[in-house]
Amino acid sequence: MSLHIESAKPEAGTPRARISLGIALAFIVIAIVVFCALFGASIAPDSPFTQRLEVGDAPPSGQFLAGTDLLGRDVFSRVIYGAWTALVGPLVVAVGAWVIATVLGLLSGYLGGMVDSATMRWVDFMLALPAPLIAIVVVGVVGGGYWTAVLVLIILFTAPDTRIVRSAVLEQRPRPYIDAARALGISKTRILFVHILPNVLPIVLAYVVLDFAFALVNLAGLSFLGLGVEPGTPDWGRMLFENRTILFTNPVALLLPAFMIILTAVSMNLIGDWLFERLTR
Amino acid sequence: MTAIASVTTSQPLPLLRVRDLTISAGGHAITTGTNLELARGETIAIVGESGSGKSLTAKAIARLLPPAVTAAGSISYDGQDLMALPEREMRQIRGRRLSMMLQDPFTMLNPLMKSGLHIAEMLRDRPEFRDRTAMNAEVARRLGEVGITDPDVAERMPFQLSGGMSQRVAMAAALARDPELLIADEPSTALDVTTQAEIIALLKRVQKKRGMSLILITHNLRLAFSTCDRIYVMYAGSLLEVGSARAVEDDPFHPYTLGLLLSEPPAEKRVARLIAIRGQVPRADEVAGRCTFADRCDWAKDKCRAGMPPLIEQAPGRFGACIRRNEIAAEMRDLRGAALETATVALSAPPSDKPLLRAANIVKEYSGRSGTVVRALKGVSIEIGPGESVGLVGESGSGKTTLGRTLVGLETPTSGAIEIAGIGASKFSAMSAVDRTATRRTIQMVFQDPYSTLNPRHSVRRSLTEALRTIGRFTKAERDARVAELLREVSLPESYAERRPSSLSGGERQRVSIARSLAVNPKILVCDEPVSALDVSVQAQILNLFKRLQQELGLSYLFITHDLAVVRQVADRIYVLYLGEIVEQGSAEEVIARPKHPYTQRLISSIPR
Repeated sequence: MSLHIESAKPEAGTPRARISLGIALAFIVIAIVVFCALFGASIAPDSPFTQRLEVGDAPPSGQFLAGTDLLGRDVFSRVIYGAWTALVGPLVVAVGAWVIATVLGLLSGYLGGMVDSATMRWVDFMLALPAPLIAIVVVGVVGGGYWTAVLVLIILFTAPDTRIVRSAVLEQRPRPYIDAARALGISKTRILFVHILPNVLPIVLAYVVLDFAFALVNLAGLSFLGLGVEPGTPDWGRMLFENRTILFTNPVALLLPAFMIILTAVSMNLIGDWLFERLTR
Repeated sequence: MTAIASVTTSQPLPLLRVRDLTISAGGHAITTGTNLELARGETIAIVGESGSGKSLTAKAIARLLPPAVTAAGSISYDGQDLMALPEREMRQIRGRRLSMMLQDPFTMLNPLMKSGLHIAEMLRDRPEFRDRTAMNAEVARRLGEVGITDPDVAERMPFQLSGGMSQRVAMAAALARDPELLIADEPSTALDVTTQAEIIALLKRVQKKRGMSLILITHNLRLAFSTCDRIYVMYAGSLLEVGSARAVEDDPFHPYTLGLLLSEPPAEKRVARLIAIRGQVPRADEVAGRCTFADRCDWAKDKCRAGMPPLIEQAPGRFGACIRRNEIAAEMRDLRGAALETATVALSAPPSDKPLLRAANIVKEYSGRSGTVVRALKGVSIEIGPGESVGLVGESGSGKTTLGRTLVGLETPTSGAIEIAGIGASKFSAMSAVDRTATRRTIQMVFQDPYSTLNPRHSVRRSLTEALRTIGRFTKAERDARVAELLREVSLPESYAERRPSSLSGGERQRVSIARSLAVNPKILVCDEPVSALDVSVQAQILNLFKRLQQELGLSYLFITHDLAVVRQVADRIYVLYLGEIVEQGSAEEVIARPKHPYTQRLISSIPR
């Protein structure tokens, strides 16, 4: 899943000052997406909901930069509005999974014994499940659309993240600085959260960014299957589904949201890799 | 570049002649203009502390530098210029004509190859060993040469061998193609003291028998003097002194060599205070273009920093790079004499009736693989009196670290009783909170590895205040004052409080970790090999710090170490731990002068003299 477009490593001996072009572009892409999600209403040229059945699926023109869809809605504006669901859901998934995984991983790695066994067997069980299929089944049966999907993804993503946190904790645990803290009589909770956590956080943070990219793709997939957002909501995955029939009359209506999903996910992956390189050195 | 007329040895054509060898990485110089000469059958030592460039010099000779590290200059081996050789021809020379032995015996052998195969691999292209039985006989003969007579060893995997055994197999493999020159890079450093002596003795014996040349790379000056004909002293990428071992030891020409000699704790006597070199080893490119040692030298003048002093012949066969040699020779000699005179037997604290710490019959068992029980400690009893400094000497696997960790409550003994300042402390988890806190404040620990003893994400101030938190609530002003005081106690400037461990040297980190354990005003410090990972010059500083703290704060120490010379300098009494049992105890003077147990005797005879 990780992509390297060019060596982001600085030369040996020089400080890690330089950012490669790829990373810079990734940051710009994410900045634009965030901006659209927050201020979409003020920058979009048109409302995403206004239907113009008389126009129908028109190709790009001066008035509609990316053309219109079957109902004559402005595709460009819908893509801008779509940044919101592309950002919020994955963000909640990433942060949610991160918080739960950090607590579970810290406890399981540091305390060991029963806590560790129980947590790890749960993780094994979760990893044995086909994640996208579970999401489809749960959202399909329970209903609730987008936010149910977010919740399911949090639970699914927590399992592998817990394992990562745990292994990072196991690496820190035998170090003398932890022994020194124990010998000083510092409490377990404090050792966990003040002494170990800052040392495992960078590794976890890098994985969280990757979670975001996975969640984005998964949520878009569910929306495409009609299990995500409400019909009519401007959402990139949903737009893929709605506009699949007008591929030949207005291909931009399909390709632009598809392109945005890929661009955002790739950018996040690049940033995740870059963070990992930077923080774990 | 050092303009040097010629470093000639008695023999006309040296086997190896290195001229102006400059090693650099990414535009930074690692060594500058090294000149080396080695005659056939001669043994030389390249002595230096970490970062001196000694190992890279050795690797450059074998053309085995890591990628991105480049070498310039000329290396002439038996009249052949190695630097100009294509890699394919160089491969013919490695192993056959010059061979290398590396430090870590556990990673040097291929973990998936039987030990005998490492040797067979080197003999594969010899037609006379095509035959399987002939090959096996040859492997057995080669192993015999390095003292392995058990024919089984050839069939064992590396993980089934002890460190000393692995090092022997590696030596046999390095010697398999009968090289004329063997470069041994810290061949004994990773081994136990007694094994160290065996490996070095073996190396010397094989070298003599074969008439082979040997380059010994080491940080251990005493080892170099006792095994080598000539010594090259290297510091921060440049050679500071070259001469015959005897001559350099008797009368060092360079202040750095003198400093190293004085820093090294003598095993035969206890000195009031070691004469340490101040500061720490700089990076080569920080001190380029001047005397590399000037910043740490008591005799440095402006002219020392004006340019790089050349390595010149200052007496027949003796080369030195100190331009003030003639002016300061008398002073240096006086200092050497004074250092030996200050040696007075320190007052041994009388064994108190009421020991501060008493451990009786401590047994510690671990469950090993497939249900076997490993007994790390087999009923160990020790006592530490108030203000007393006790040494715990033993090799790896003796259980000395386990005992230390058990005393501070990091491990719980399987059976036995521990009493610290009148409180029963055998099982920390079963103690009342008040007792546990009181005990934690009485006994603290200083750990071996300076690189992981501090939390990498905490500043020095944070590390120290974390320790202070455990003894009560303080206002910010009180906390800051105490942090400043602690830093002062370990001789670090107050500005260090804001630093992260990554910006501190090994010695500085060890000072901070000592300050951290002092934060709770303990009465006993358990020091687990606190200086073994440090450079000799820094080691002396830290040992002096321990001595000063004991006088100022009336601390008791349990000094866990494998190094008798170190323990001699700090301990009043010694316990010798061997395979989980105390085999000998008594006053430091008595035990070292008249060891009774065969193991102690072996330990003492292993110190290179």
